Amino acid sequence: MTAAVTAPARPRTPVAARRYWPVAAALVLAALGLLLAGRGSWPAALSVDLSGPLGSASDWIVDNRDSHPLFLYFFGHVSNAVVLSVRGVYLVLLAAGWAGVTAAAGLVAWRLAGVRLAVTAVAAFAVCGLLGMWVPTMQTLALMVVAVAASVALGAVLGLAAGLSDRTYRALRPVLDTMQVLPAFAYLLPVVLVFGIGVPAAVLATVVYAAPPMARLTALGLRSADPGVLEAAASLGATGRQRLLTARIPLARKELLLGVNQSIMMALSMAVIASVIGAGGLGDRVYQALASVDVGAALAAGIPIVLLAVVLDRTATGARSRGGSGRAWTGCAAAVVAAALTGRLTGGLTWPEAWHVDIAEPVNRAVDWMTAHLYSGVPLIGGTADWAAHFTGWVLDPVRDGLQALPWWALLMAVGALALVVGTWRTALTAVGAMAAIGVLGVWDASLDTLSQVLAAVAVTLVLGFGIAVGAARSTRLERLLRPVLDVFQTMPQFVYLIPVVALFGVGRAPAVAAAVVYALPAVVRITTQGLRGVDPVALESARSLGATGWQQLRQVQFPLARPALLLAVNQAVVLVLAVVIIGGLVGGGALGYDVVFGLAQGDLATGLVAGAAIVCLGLMLDRVTQPTAEKEA
Amino acid sequence: MRKSPVTESPAGTSPAGTSPAGAGPAANPVTSGTNPVAGPVISPVTGPGAPEPATATPVFSVEGLWKVFGPKSDRVPGSDLAELPAAELRERTGCTAAVRDVSFDVRKGEVFVVMGLSGSGKSTLVRCLTRLIEPTSGTVAIDGEDILSMDRSRLRELRRHRAAMVFQHFGLLPHRTVVDNVAYGLEIQGMGRAERRAKAAEVVTKVGLEGMEDRKPGQLSGGQQQRVGLARALAVDPEVLLFDEPFSALDPLIRRDMQEEVIRLHREEGRTMIFITHDLNEALRLGDRIALMRDGRIVQLGTPEEIVGAPADDYVRDFVRDVPREQVLTVRSAMRPPSGGEAESGPALAPGATVSEAIEAVARTGGPVRVVDAGRCLGVVDHEGLLSVVAGVPVGKAAA
Repeated sequence: MTAAVTAPARPRTPVAARRYWPVAAALVLAALGLLLAGRGSWPAALSVDLSGPLGSASDWIVDNRDSHPLFLYFFGHVSNAVVLSVRGVYLVLLAAGWAGVTAAAGLVAWRLAGVRLAVTAVAAFAVCGLLGMWVPTMQTLALMVVAVAASVALGAVLGLAAGLSDRTYRALRPVLDTMQVLPAFAYLLPVVLVFGIGVPAAVLATVVYAAPPMARLTALGLRSADPGVLEAAASLGATGRQRLLTARIPLARKELLLGVNQSIMMALSMAVIASVIGAGGLGDRVYQALASVDVGAALAAGIPIVLLAVVLDRTATGARSRGGSGRAWTGCAAAVVAAALTGRLTGGLTWPEAWHVDIAEPVNRAVDWMTAHLYSGVPLIGGTADWAAHFTGWVLDPVRDGLQALPWWALLMAVGALALVVGTWRTALTAVGAMAAIGVLGVWDASLDTLSQVLAAVAVTLVLGFGIAVGAARSTRLERLLRPVLDVFQTMPQFVYLIPVVALFGVGRAPAVAAAVVYALPAVVRITTQGLRGVDPVALESARSLGATGWQQLRQVQFPLARPALLLAVNQAVVLVLAVVIIGGLVGGGALGYDVVFGLAQGDLATGLVAGAAIVCLGLMLDRVTQPTAEKEA
Repeated sequence: MRKSPVTESPAGTSPAGTSPAGAGPAANPVTSGTNPVAGPVISPVTGPGAPEPATATPVFSVEGLWKVFGPKSDRVPGSDLAELPAAELRERTGCTAAVRDVSFDVRKGEVFVVMGLSGSGKSTLVRCLTRLIEPTSGTVAIDGEDILSMDRSRLRELRRHRAAMVFQHFGLLPHRTVVDNVAYGLEIQGMGRAERRAKAAEVVTKVGLEGMEDRKPGQLSGGQQQRVGLARALAVDPEVLLFDEPFSALDPLIRRDMQEEVIRLHREEGRTMIFITHDLNEALRLGDRIALMRDGRIVQLGTPEEIVGAPADDYVRDFVRDVPREQVLTVRSAMRPPSGGEAESGPALAPGATVSEAIEAVARTGGPVRVVDAGRCLGVVDHEGLLSVVAGVPVGKAAA
């Protein structure tokens, strides 16, 4: 290597030394602590047992649900309104029959996104019928319609407030930011506490989960409106209202539609997960099937979810670029009514039994064959179950035991040091506070178990993701090949990732980690590829003109310049992995996710709530530790 | 259209487009002096020091206007702080004074240009006129009515009907068609759809955009977009048009077209205009009077001839150094009293004619030329007088 190439590395040293001393100090202290204190779980004296008070609180709510004025006059009405509207939409969908609904889906897709998507939409609904999932699909759809409508309305109102008032924006933004990084599971327990298990709880959890993106994007759109246009409107004497209606909102159209799109996708994701708290529909079928490790049945319900996700996402994306005239829409409505009437007159309303195709049976046979032949003992490469066992034994267990063996104070210090390196003292404080709260809640060991799975999954995701992304950034053909795959993977709800991993690896911690990796990988690949490709071509060209090899270009130009994107990829990996690792509690992932599921299943809300709070803290901590703050970047 | 055979003749003095008056000194010098709205350079200037014509109340009257940005900005005007230079003021108070103690009147029907480099406070000043930026202190009046004491609805009335603005970056609504953008001001006034679209279509034709009514701003060139911005301001039929560096973002050739457009509109309608620019050539071309700003203050206010002919200080002198003086200054500045029989015969020029026109006349006749106003001979110009103007030497000194 020439001197010219090595030279740039040198002046960094003092900066690096200043930045990384907290890590070094923490490592030294951790080593000392390990020697002096040995195994150091969170001391019982410092924890607060909340199960008593939480239990009595939940008992109180259960006892007073039918009599207390708060429930009678507020939550009761909310609950009734939700039930009524979901049932109303469901009845309309049933009344339209499969012919009407399929026609409606096809025409809406055609108007908004073109003929190709219309065909896809019709095919997707036909597949839902063929798989015998028509009724659950309609249940999920009904719940989605209500939840999306509510979350878009709620998000728009919040976004409007935050877009127009600086104070509201400052107050709302950290809340929305935090909600964005919390796993879906964390939202389930509080709503169950108030509404009990059932459709209202499921809808409200979905609304709470899906409203933040709408609020964020609405506020963003309103705030990023061209000030020149707003000034022009003011100079013409527009009132505040006129300015909002004629300039600000139309200018924010793109963000608003993107918000609706994101809300729909989040709502679908949550509506499926909310089967755990009584959402019914497709998610419930998957949940039941997974509980009895019936992969075939899970797949039969999982395919409609994926199809629904793809169709909804493409339609919503299409709506962003096109509108449609009123007359065309009237024509479409007429066609839908005609189709519905024809369907009603010629045949039944639900999908005809005779047209069902049962895939559960053959799929299960295939899975049985796999279990028999691929699980273990395959020459040379071993079997999938062997891999899972090895991963658990060689990676997950040592990481978990190592974390649990660390003294609690050393872990807190490590977290604080890490947060100091990437952020400010304020992020460090939040991270350490969140971590300490986990200890205080008394779920230290379970949380470290979850954390170990997260760390392992993030490591695997980053290695795979960066590798694929470097390839995609260098080869346009690979990127073209990957793009549709990433598109589909990114629209799928978290829940469906559990189905294939259970088929391959059985149940346990390894499949949960595998599902998390698969879920987080597309986002990491996409962000990293974009970051690497977005590197200033002039910088790259100048490196090439100096004779840098491909590896030198990558290491010395692309990686350093794409640093913000890489950091974002790490942050996203952590957030997404955590979400799925928690859901992995459903397939034997154990730890915090299991506590939540157990709490729900046993009606032991106290356990579930404590676990939920720990999940919130863990999410907060992981996000802060990996989120480079704006001040530092600037 | 305003190009005269004189300036375009082979004896023409400068290549078109680079000089301030390239298209400048208008048609027949004799008639131009009597046309009050014919154009900037040949407007009825009465010469340095001559009393301004006393008209009715000025359209805009600005008195002691201050705009200070920053914390507790209202303590700055009128205190000791007011005299501090910008850097020191910032250090002492954290405030920035964008407009400092500015006073001027804008007369009915004139093009009043505020000219200055970026950061001189000119854009802030024009926004203070309709309170798009709230002034810190001073008074601003339109037709004698105090603007700063207007309540919200009265202020809206002002913005809706009396003063419309054209912006540097157009400020068009990207989701609306040209005609709907032009009709936007009328829509805000509450005019019905059919009526406002009909009216907007008229204005669209007036600014030369017919046939593009249904395009979106994104499909137009910069010059066309600014025509839409101009049409939008014209559509509300305002008393005053405010231009905030409207052509700075345009290519030089388009900019020229647009300047022609403004000159044409002004000639046809005689509307009062306040024009902000950082381009001296543009200012000299368009302005009946120019206020030259620096660091928030007006350093000189006068006709283009006064600015070029009698710069108030070194800053202004530096500024106008490269201006071709013969195209801005009128023959008045080169005149001497007639001697002998010079007053009775010979070719004649109007007092509004530029020095460059006089040079041509003198070169053609070979002798002195009379300056005649309404049949009365004001004086004569000859080689020496004209040369000393071009050279920037006081008239008479060269001869002495």
